[in-house]
Amino acid sequence: MSSSSYRPPAYSGVWHPDAIEEIQEKAELGRYQIRGQATKRHNLPSFDDLVFTPAGLSRMPLEGYRERCDTAVTIGKGKVSRPLVLDRPIMIAGMSFGALSVNAKRALGIAASRCGISTCTGEGGMHPEEREHSTKLVMQYLPSRYGMNPYDLQKADMLEIGAGQGAKPGTGGVLLGLKMSDEVAKMRDLPPGVDQRSSCRHPDWMGADDLYMKLEQLREVTNYEIPISIKVGASRIANDVRIACKADVDAIVFDGMEGGTAASPSIQLDHAGIPTVAAIAEAVEALHDMGKQDEIKLIVGGGIKNGADAAKAIALGADVVYLGTAPMIALNCHAPIYVEDYERLGTTPYECQHCHTGLCPVGITTQLPKLMERLDVEEAADRVTNYINAITMEIQLFARSCGKNKVADLDPNDMRSLTNDVAMMTGIPMVGLNGKKPWWTKF
Amino acid sequence: MANIETLTLNCEDKSTKEINSIIRNAAVDGVEQVEILNTQARHNIGVGILKPIHLIYRGHVGYYTVGLCDGVTAEIHGSAGWGVGDNLMSGEVVIEGNAATSAGPSIRGGRIVVKGNGGPRCGVSLKSGEVIIGGNAGYMSGFMMQNGRLIICGDSAKGLGDSMYQGQIWLGGIPEELGSGVTQVDPEAGELDEVFAVLEKYKISAPKSFKKLQSDKSLWNFNKHDFAAWKDAL
Repeated sequence: MSSSSYRPPAYSGVWHPDAIEEIQEKAELGRYQIRGQATKRHNLPSFDDLVFTPAGLSRMPLEGYRERCDTAVTIGKGKVSRPLVLDRPIMIAGMSFGALSVNAKRALGIAASRCGISTCTGEGGMHPEEREHSTKLVMQYLPSRYGMNPYDLQKADMLEIGAGQGAKPGTGGVLLGLKMSDEVAKMRDLPPGVDQRSSCRHPDWMGADDLYMKLEQLREVTNYEIPISIKVGASRIANDVRIACKADVDAIVFDGMEGGTAASPSIQLDHAGIPTVAAIAEAVEALHDMGKQDEIKLIVGGGIKNGADAAKAIALGADVVYLGTAPMIALNCHAPIYVEDYERLGTTPYECQHCHTGLCPVGITTQLPKLMERLDVEEAADRVTNYINAITMEIQLFARSCGKNKVADLDPNDMRSLTNDVAMMTGIPMVGLNGKKPWWTKF
Repeated sequence: MANIETLTLNCEDKSTKEINSIIRNAAVDGVEQVEILNTQARHNIGVGILKPIHLIYRGHVGYYTVGLCDGVTAEIHGSAGWGVGDNLMSGEVVIEGNAATSAGPSIRGGRIVVKGNGGPRCGVSLKSGEVIIGGNAGYMSGFMMQNGRLIICGDSAKGLGDSMYQGQIWLGGIPEELGSGVTQVDPEAGELDEVFAVLEKYKISAPKSFKKLQSDKSLWNFNKHDFAAWKDAL
């Protein structure tokens, strides 16, 4: 289109087509919109607003393929008898059997086991196939307590008390009826086909003092063998960190507002929580305030796509990154296959956010046998393995280029901010200022 | 320790870890029952016990007593703190006094009997088994019940059975307000007799009659015409 023929859109900046479509959909549905995946916001501060400042003359880089760069992280070291040792600073985030097909759970378990990292049950209990395929399995302990029992708690390699998620902080889980298959329903003690609405808070603890007692109960049940973390959606971070420290957890998981979901109210996805990059800075500061930065591991998720995001999260102070949506995409989510089925859902590959419908064209977020067959477990496991290997190399690349022989040694001094916003949020100085006032202010 | 019928366990000067370890070992060794003294309303006494044993608590207990246990029977000669019998898989817990918030949360089997009053959210997220309250029950009792039976001999506060999926609530007294998605139905033949029989077993004074409440299934799947119910439930 030539510039002379360009005509700006005639619609209102307020009542633009997306807003009109949203109103008309609500007028039809009589409820809020629900969708899967993540926020649609394009304007969030992100890790892209940070850059690394690798070695030059003042610091020596390490050889990319020859010099060692350690990636292992241990959670619960010195505190429990069976700490969780991760070979990479990566964990697969909690995604339930129900939200995902059993084939997807198998593939994630196989890939995670090959990479020496953990998977997580998510809501709905521990599926035996997931336990079988995951050498390191985190069991979520959630308000709904679906499928919860002491035997599975004892089979886990870590417990994660779920108290919120980034995609919908302050609300409970949603699993719509089409995904409530007989098997899913049986595991959750629910009638098949119901729209499941999980409670948003635990049935038997409310505040900081209660949480300490709940931790003690879970440690008793697991005989003080395995670490226990608590996961919250990133919102009131500093106070949440203080409470988690008081409860004596081994790790805190923060899920930024970019975090994924199988089904959440759209309005919540786009208007609640705070972005991951800001969440880390606040959490790290609070951990230092409590003097627990060396004792309690910080696990952070929400929109982490590649090794750059992961390395920046670690440099800001996270110990481990939590990946959910990215491994799903590696499984085949959004792949341009079965395009006609995306079209039937009224969407396309790359735009699809229809996890909530249970009609996933690529067989990941479905319980329908015909769709589940579309995910070849071995091939999918290979893709996820390759992806995790690739981002591990990317993380190491940044660490080595900054002269660090341990990924955990990346620190805020290894980065600069590209934007004022992120500089203010994270305390990482703006590029060009070397952390000081402009040079001309000296004269 | 084998062949000991009753082990006496004094909680004084023992850590929670030591107390639970002694109980677990006793269960493994085939001890029939443990009499627990000086409970001092302490929390997490008798949790994670997965072998059958009978526990006798001489005094008040704190949070999560007999929590995450399987096959354990217990009598508590006092009152219980929050979450008594949490996630019980099978067995029985009888509380002679009152129970604080969330008596029998998320139990998946067995029976929790509170002879006195229950606090808020008795039988919350009940998945199977039975919770019996001899007196009154606090607000949101039976909230999000998934199955099983909740018997309340006295009155209930607001939100009784709110958002329950399945199961039955038997209420002897007056509900301050029923929760969303709850309806009263006529008992089926023999059901009421079963309720009276179980109360008789525990020597709980039963009211003359009971209302049987259950889910009206209006919240099972969203229906825009039932907005009044969903407004509160969503």
